[in-house]
Parts: sequence; C-alpha cells; structure tokens
Amino acid sequence: MTGADSPGRPDRGGSADSPGDYAADVAGEQREYAVAGRPDVRIHVRDLGLACCAVEFAAAIGRGLLVPAEPDSPGSAAVLVVSGTVTDALAPQVLAAWEALPEPKAAVSFGACSNSGGPYWDSYSVTKGVDRVIPVTTYVPGCPPRPEALVDALVSLVVPA
Amino acid sequence: MSDVVPQARGAIALDAAACTSCMLCVKECPDWCIHIESHNEEVSEPGARRPRSVAVLDSFTIDWGLCMYCGICVEVCPFDALQWVSTHDYAAAEADGLRHGIARLEEFGPSDQR
Repeated sequence: MTGADSPGRPDRGGSADSPGDYAADVAGEQREYAVAGRPDVRIHVRDLGLACCAVEFAAAIGRGLLVPAEPDSPGSAAVLVVSGTVTDALAPQVLAAWEALPEPKAAVSFGACSNSGGPYWDSYSVTKGVDRVIPVTTYVPGCPPRPEALVDALVSLVVPA
Repeated sequence: MSDVVPQARGAIALDAAACTSCMLCVKECPDWCIHIESHNEEVSEPGARRPRSVAVLDSFTIDWGLCMYCGICVEVCPFDALQWVSTHDYAAAEADGLRHGIARLEEFGPSDQR
C-alpha cells in the first residue's frame, strides 16, 4: 500500500518499487513506531504479528495512532507487541525476537491468543499464553483488541493511569 | 481512555440482579470463559403448599484473556443480564487480572449501547 494509492492515509514512505509500510515488517525488515502526539511516551514499538490481531496493529498505524519512530531518540524503551497466536513451534522465534531487543524493554501481549491461547486454549499446538515464553508487562484483552486499546496500553506503560 | 465508536464491543457488563444463574451463557460460550457458582435457597411463602427453590448467584467470572468477544452469551441471556459496553481500557499487568468477578463486571455497566 502506498500513500499515493490510499487517499486519507498518512504517507508512510512506501513506493511502487518498495511496498514499505507493514509489508516490510512481514518481510523481515523490522520497523519501529511511536505513539502519535505523545512525545512524553518515549518508546519504540515493534510488532511481532503472528495472526489476525496484527491487523489491528496495522490499523493503529493506518489511522495515525502510531507513527514511525525517530531513529535517534536516546532514552527510549523498546516495546515488543506480540499480536496473534503463538504456537509451540514458533515460540523459540518469539524468544529470539525478545532477546534481540535492547534494554530497557517491555513486552505487551495483544489479544486473547497471546494472553492465554484464547479460542485455542485446548489446542495441542498453541502456546497457552506468550507469558510462558517471555515476561509480559501488560496483557491487552480483546479478540481482537481495538487499536485504541493498544495505544492506551502503550501509554500506560510509561504514564500509569 | 481513547474514544471509540459507541457500538464497539469492548466488554460485557453484568447486571447481577437480573442473573438467575441459569447457566445458559456458560453452556453456550465457545471458549468456556464464563464461570458461575450458585446455590439454591428455599423460600417459604404464606399459604404455599411447599417452599420454592430459588437459585442465588455466588460468583460470576469472565476471563477476558480467553473471551473471543463473540457475544453469544449476550444473545442467549433470557434476562438481559449481559450487555455490550464500549469500554476497552482494562489491560492488566497480570494474566489473572483479566479474570473479572461480579463487582468488576457490574462496574462496566450500564450499557452505552442499544
């Protein structure tokens, strides 16, 4: 998706040659985001989108609630948002993504699947909550949670409600 | 809390006074995320041949960590004890913090939806 093709959406730097945006994340080029209009919330957010909840993370970007983070912003904490179903086969990758983040860091479990396994709580292959793999700071409920719930949870990491 | 559209399915509020512990929501929940405990009490009324047995709600818990927000419980409740609300800002620091009992579920109400 490019800015020119989608009127009303913020231009996020993609072009016809490089799809950019969210597709780049999926392709492995990890992008970092910050909460729009909250310079006091100094976090760099990464999405580990494993299933449909990742669409809501993308919606937060598409609606301008999350904006690309400034590359040079010292003192910012890294936040990993795990959105989607974690399977036992994928758990080592989740752990690797967490360990690759620089300190200080926090993990947000976004949605029922990563909170507890969600609808797949009785599945043989689904991890019953990403907190069995990495330490979780905040659990955001929803199936999926709304983009606003993500932003509220991110803000409350820094500014307790 | 950020503003959301009013019809947002953010949470399900409980009206404990309307709940008869019939367990329909518990049985229909695809996730088994609702847990009810109740006991029966006998109510004697003057002139009645024998006392009536009335279910009394002891606990009503929804585990939002499991809930998939399908709304089947809201649909099946014969007494409208469950209603959608748009509240979404109840992220928890512990997984257990997403298990809400009667008091917390009643705080969500009354419903802001029709």
